[in-house]
Amino acid sequence: MWDLILNPFVTILAWLYAALNQDIVLAIVVLTVIIRFLTYPLLAKQQESSRKMQQVQPQLKKLQEKYKNDKEKLSQAQMKLYRENKVNPVGGCFPMVIQFPILIGLYQAIFFALAATPFQLVDLSERLLIPGLDSLIPLQRMWTPIPQLASILPELDLTLAPTENPHYSLLLPLLVLVTTWAQQKLTMMTTKQKSDKKDDDEDDKPRGGQAQMMQSMTTIMPIMFGFFSMTFSVGLSVYFVTSNLIGIVQYSPQGRNVLDKLFRKKQTDDAPVEIVFEEEEPTKKTRKRRKKKPRKK
Amino acid sequence: MSKSNRRRCRLAICLVLALLATSGCVGARMGVSWPAVGLINVNGEQNIALAYNNDVALLSPVNGAPLRLINPVNGQAMLDSENNPRSWILQGSNNEGAQFYSLPIVLDAETMLVAANSGKLLLVDSVLLEVKQTIPLPDKIVASMLVAEGILYVPYQNGGLSALSLDDFREIWRFHTEEGVWATPLLVGDMIIVPSIDHNLYALDRSSGHRLWSVDLGGSVASTPLLANDRLYVGSFNKSFFEISLDGRILSRYATQNWVWGTPEIDENGIIYVADLSGFVHALDSERNLAEIWSNQVADRGIRAGPLAYMERVIVASRDGKVYWLDKRDGVPVNVREVDALPELLGDMLLLMPSESLKIDQPLLIVTSVHDGRLLIAFEIDGRQNWVYPR
Repeated sequence: MWDLILNPFVTILAWLYAALNQDIVLAIVVLTVIIRFLTYPLLAKQQESSRKMQQVQPQLKKLQEKYKNDKEKLSQAQMKLYRENKVNPVGGCFPMVIQFPILIGLYQAIFFALAATPFQLVDLSERLLIPGLDSLIPLQRMWTPIPQLASILPELDLTLAPTENPHYSLLLPLLVLVTTWAQQKLTMMTTKQKSDKKDDDEDDKPRGGQAQMMQSMTTIMPIMFGFFSMTFSVGLSVYFVTSNLIGIVQYSPQGRNVLDKLFRKKQTDDAPVEIVFEEEEPTKKTRKRRKKKPRKK
Repeated sequence: MSKSNRRRCRLAICLVLALLATSGCVGARMGVSWPAVGLINVNGEQNIALAYNNDVALLSPVNGAPLRLINPVNGQAMLDSENNPRSWILQGSNNEGAQFYSLPIVLDAETMLVAANSGKLLLVDSVLLEVKQTIPLPDKIVASMLVAEGILYVPYQNGGLSALSLDDFREIWRFHTEEGVWATPLLVGDMIIVPSIDHNLYALDRSSGHRLWSVDLGGSVASTPLLANDRLYVGSFNKSFFEISLDGRILSRYATQNWVWGTPEIDENGIIYVADLSGFVHALDSERNLAEIWSNQVADRGIRAGPLAYMERVIVASRDGKVYWLDKRDGVPVNVREVDALPELLGDMLLLMPSESLKIDQPLLIVTSVHDGRLLIAFEIDGRQNWVYPR
């Protein structure tokens, strides 16, 4: 099942390698750009959902205070708030669920294509779907970042970890760490700015559990990916850096505007619907009326 | 959010990310190669040698049990610190974390050479099972070495072949290839034939290492060629199988369904059997320019190891975890045996014929898998399982 995602990626990567003058780094960069570009609508949807959740956070907080002793009422009020503001609390998950297999597939495809041992190469034999690509195997393993400076920057073995490569390759995990941090920071700022536009009454700090999570991710993710890059092959660091740089472009205001225009996405900055919460349990009549409302629409 | 909640939240994120990262690695192979298996002669007795990951082991062909270490002074079994009998298993974890994919070479009654994947030669006292000397090499080793007339030929994982003197392990010559040499070279008279992942088959002068000829086979060459009728037979990753003259000319070519990785087999009638990584087995006529006699898809997954021919059968082991006995005449499976848990059967097979030195009274087929719980599986020739190592 997983091969359905993985094998086309491996094949496209090998095909790009052939098309791009047998330059594996260029092939990895181009494939990453293509995939990140194609998955942008999913990312935009996820961002939109996240923005809406941020907007209702102040009201959610009020509800939590108000019904702190009555979980049932709190739950009902929260559902009402979500309904009125057209917020799906798990709406951001679906695009993410689709994106993850694609991005993990891409990452694995690079891993498989950079096969350097018999064990890895024997797997590759079942993954190339286009005839003729077999003659390219094994794909380029050695890579010089700047051929003119080959004496200072000797070639890297893309299949080995930075610790087994020339010392300057240790800059790659650092680059991964910095770009991951920048991307995370930008993600957080984007979400915060959007929600702040309509919530002037709130302070500067990010609000709610989601904001806390994002803050934690800004710290943990760069360290984690930096660590991965130390132990994984250099070829995967190229992917991480490329992917992060694309993420930075996607989250930057200018980049978002261009991408939104390309994908014809409407900018929606609706203010959250202020709702009045009743002190008492709604009567049967009001319940019925409310249920009928969406049908009339 | 309270402090403890924040901590919980961070922990949850870490777990999710770790899960995602590890799930990203699932299916992606982290190992190096599969077990190497062969026969070696120790003190006049032939034993099965196995090299895989952390261990090099010598096993009895009778039951697959590791040999016991015997004290040369009193003839008693040697004991470990817990008073258990010591087995002949050299462990990489006790030797700088060495990994082994190359068969050991017996130098004399007391000395053995073992190549570690990290690029080291271990000179081992085979009686006491102690490493006497470590000789650094310029590159990693993934294929078995070759010894002839006092010279050790060492193939390197990332490219090239060295000839070392067995007297002092001094390098006599080194031949460079662009990519690795993942199969044992083949000696043919004064030539040494070197298959390489860089798509070439090289013929070198044994004494000087000079290239006599090379032939581009359009894809990586990862198996030792078969020498028969003064010709070389070898497959490549270019989905092709070749007949090559001893002066380096391609005489015939046969298109296979996928990469050919194993060494082919020839029977007494000159029929060559080739398996490929799509699970096909092909029977080709060596006397008629590799004319196809039959070609059958036998297994669902690839066949990495070369086939074995015995009597009226051709035997292959597949990545689908099954061993197939085929009818030589038409390639139709007449017997199929599943190995427990269906591990990938990637390593070479071994056919042991009855002999006094082996102490077996009927032929035994040894199949190698990458499952740590059943690295070697011994079948009788009719397909009945005899023993499994480790037990």
